[in-house]
Formats: sequence, C-alpha cells, structure tokens
Amino acid sequence: MSHNIHRRGVSRRRFLQGIGAASALPLLGGIAPFAIANGSAGRVVVIGGGFGGATAAKYLKRANPAIEVTLVEPAEVFYTCPFSNLFLGGLRDLRSIAHGYDELRDRYGVRVVHSLAEDVDPDGHRVRLANGETLVYDRLVLSPGIDFRWNALEGYDEAAAELAPHAWKAGAQTERLKGQLEAMEDGGTFVMVAPENPFRCPPGPYERASMVAHYFSQHKPNSKVLILDAKDNFSKQGLFTAGWERLYGDRIEWVGLSGDGRVTRVDAENLEVETEFGTRHRADVLNVIPPQKAGFIAERAGVTDDSGWVPVKAETFESRQVRDIHVIGDATVAAPMPKSGFCANNQAKVVAAAIAAELSGRSAPEPYWTNTCYSLIGPEYGISVAGVYRVQEGVIAEVEGSGGLSPADAPDHVRALEAEYAVGWYNAICQDTWGTSV
Amino acid sequence: MMTLPRPAAASLLGGLLLGGLALTAQAEDTFSPDQLAVMAGGCASCHGTDGRLSGPVPAIAGRPRAVLESRLLAFKGDTVEDTTVMNRIARGFSDEELSALADHFANIDAP
Repeated sequence: MSHNIHRRGVSRRRFLQGIGAASALPLLGGIAPFAIANGSAGRVVVIGGGFGGATAAKYLKRANPAIEVTLVEPAEVFYTCPFSNLFLGGLRDLRSIAHGYDELRDRYGVRVVHSLAEDVDPDGHRVRLANGETLVYDRLVLSPGIDFRWNALEGYDEAAAELAPHAWKAGAQTERLKGQLEAMEDGGTFVMVAPENPFRCPPGPYERASMVAHYFSQHKPNSKVLILDAKDNFSKQGLFTAGWERLYGDRIEWVGLSGDGRVTRVDAENLEVETEFGTRHRADVLNVIPPQKAGFIAERAGVTDDSGWVPVKAETFESRQVRDIHVIGDATVAAPMPKSGFCANNQAKVVAAAIAAELSGRSAPEPYWTNTCYSLIGPEYGISVAGVYRVQEGVIAEVEGSGGLSPADAPDHVRALEAEYAVGWYNAICQDTWGTSV
Repeated sequence: MMTLPRPAAASLLGGLLLGGLALTAQAEDTFSPDQLAVMAGGCASCHGTDGRLSGPVPAIAGRPRAVLESRLLAFKGDTVEDTTVMNRIARGFSDEELSALADHFANIDAP
C-alpha cells in the first residue's frame, strides 16, 4: 500500500546527481557480485508494508536469515482494506484491522524503516528515502499498492475525497466514511460510484454495499443504497444479487453501464454525480471509488507501462522492464489472478523463494499461487471465489478444473460457514503477513 | 488437470514401487525443499504460517500424514459434505502434489 504524500520534492536528475556525488563510487553495473563475494547472503529492500511487502520480508528471512532485509513503510500501523467493510457495517472496530511491524523486526530480524521511499535508481541499485537515507540493494521488491488517478473522473481530486471519501485505502478515509454514515439521517441514500476494471479488490464495492445495507437495516431502516457502476458485470454478481434480495429486499439498487450507471462527473460539495447520459443523482453520503494505477514508487522505478500498471515475468514477478526489481500485489498485471491481498501474500512467497534461491546460486522453484476471496453479504452470510494458478507456456493461468464460486444453491448453513471461515481466513492471513495485531 | 514435466527418475521409481510407498517416495524425490515451501505457501494464507493457526479454519500442522492425504483427496473428489473452498482448491493440485503437501504438514510440529 502506498501513501500519497510529499512525492514530487526532488527530481530524478537531482537524485541521481546526489548519489553520484555522495557515493564517489565508479559505475559498477550492479552491486550483487560484490555482496556475494564478501560472504553476505545479499541485500534485499522491500518497499511497502501491506500484504505483499510484509509477507515478502518475512518469507525472505524464513528462507535465509543471512539475507539482509530492509522493509520501507511510512506507516507504523497498517489498516487492511480487507474487513474494512465490516467496520463500515458495524461488525468490527477499526483497531481490529490494524497491524504493526514488531514481529517482523523482533522475531524475524527485518530492519523496518518507517519512511517514504521517494525514488529508485535502478542502475545504481539504490533507493532514496524521505528521511534522507539511501539504501543499496541486490534485489528490490516493490509492493506499492495503488494510487488514484485524480481528476480522471471529472471533479474527483484529493480535496473532493475529503467530502466524498473513496475509503479504498483503509484508515482515516474509512473512518471518515463511517462517520458520514452515522451522521446521516434515516431515509437517506448512500451512493457508491464503482470503477471500471481493473481495480483493487474486484468484489470489494459489492461487499461494501452489503455491509452498508446491513448497517442501515439495523440503524436506519428507511435508507437506501445505490451503486452506480461503470461496468455491466462484476465479481460474484449472481451470488451478490441473490444475497441482496434475500437479506435486504430492494434496499440495494445496482445500475450498470447499460443502464446509464457510468458516472462521468462528481460534484463533491453538493454530493451530486452526473452519468454519461446526463442523469444526476443526489447522495446523502457519497462514496467514490476512483480509477486507479500502480503506486507512485513503481513509476519512479520505471517499471510501469502505458496502462499505469506493472508488467512482470510470470515465473519470478521480476519486472519485464527493469532488472533486479520484483513487483507484487495490486500494482502488477497478473491476470487471471485478481488484485487481492491473498494474491499479494502468495506472490510475495513465490518472489521470496525465487530471490533466496537465486542469491544462493540455486534456480527459482516453480511458482504455485492460490487465491480465496471471501465477501460478507451479512454477518452470517458469506460467499467466496477461489483459484489455483500456475505458469503455463510462460503465462499465468488458472489450473483447469480448479477454483470457482460458491454454489448458487448453497444452503443457509453453508453461507454461515463461509462467513465463519472468512473470519478464520482474515486472522490467518494477518498472522501470516504481520504476525501482530495493534 | 495440468501435466507438468517431472524428473524421469522419480517417475521410474514411482512405477517400480507400489501403493502408498510409491507416493511417499515420489513426494520426497520429486519436490525440492524450495519447491515444497512454495507449494505449501498458499495453505498458510488460511491456516496460518506453517499451517499452525487454530481457529474457525483448523490447524493442519502435525496431523497424521495419512489423515491429511485422505482428506485432501476427498476434497478433490468433492465427497466431503458442506465443503466450502477446499474442493475448489484441491482440484488445482495433482494427487502427487497433495501427497507431498500432506507429508510436508505432517512433519511440522503441531501448534
């Protein structure tokens, strides 16, 4: 997960000049041979402390404690996007989705630096931090999460996000949206603007609509949820639609692209949005999930392409554009794997194993990835999508016959089991990623 | 099901031995420790690191190998009542891979 603050302070040229002057080293074309010649197991810098980055740091140390691993993450407390919808629904408090870095530091020996990575010099294998420090790496792992394309949706910029929160990076934004829902008078309408593909957490908007509807059913029984969607199909659509009808009747209305659901302009001050064909919708609480791209540092490292996302080699998630930089998580183009925390966690383990093997002169093992995304429609009504992925003919492919959705005709007790397992999954993946709660 | 190339020696060994013994020999010979760690990586995302977290989703570390293997094969065959995701996940692995995973988790200390 990246943090969109103070990014444009120093130009790339100034950074490179600064490094040249400060280090007074000749150009060596990479640091790795020297590190290994000196008996070190290698230096790996990991940028981003979310599901991808924190897991990569931990599993690098598990694979070989002699690797020097530095994790760079500005926040001391990380709020997960998964289960942030449950906070909105009133099922959890914010603290329960907060995680820290003590275990990575104290148990696994990761050096954790709470600063922002401002720039990457791929030729010199260096990363410059906002605190003035420069880190040298043999391998760099970027897990930068997403950034928003401000103004790609007319009228929706950082200032507008204070009035009409995205809450698509968890924490303060999620609290803001929750506060607005609580302050809303009964009888109001919660309007959500959902983006086109690709975006972080494909089922997320629809789980959020479910959780807001649950909150309304408990506290504001005359209130409605309206989803204005830029697409005609969405993740687990049939399961969501059936669950909504079952639990919430007509409380949730979804308008897709063909029904003039694509919002083209946001007036955050008046909590109003306008669609492609000029229909205006007034909200009492407005949640805009804007178009997205890879987190900022990916761009600085030169690993993004014209799409704004990061193309990677399937086997190792090394950038297709820059050597010795591996990129994982939501920032990557990894379809058919979705942009999920589960996938980021699994990609991190594959990358950690590949780097640890290669730094020791062994070849990287074959990748295996799994994904399971649970969504809660109600507190006792869970659904899921799963997949198992391998490399086939050089590209990532879902293993034939694996994966798929919860059955459409599952009985209530199976929906309840999935809701219970969703909690088990959350506890496990957070234990596997950070190992600590705050 | 995917078909991936396997080392010829392992296939030959598997062909010469019988029953469970063959599977054990294959699991050990076919997958390197690096490979097993990656193959098992996905399990930890729901069962905790090394499969040792107990909760709504059970711990899998330290359970008898035969129990784990028969359970995984039953998930794959979709014969477990009220299965949620494990049938969908087990179908992504060959019998040989499931056997290797059973072996891997059986050999980790229980929580």
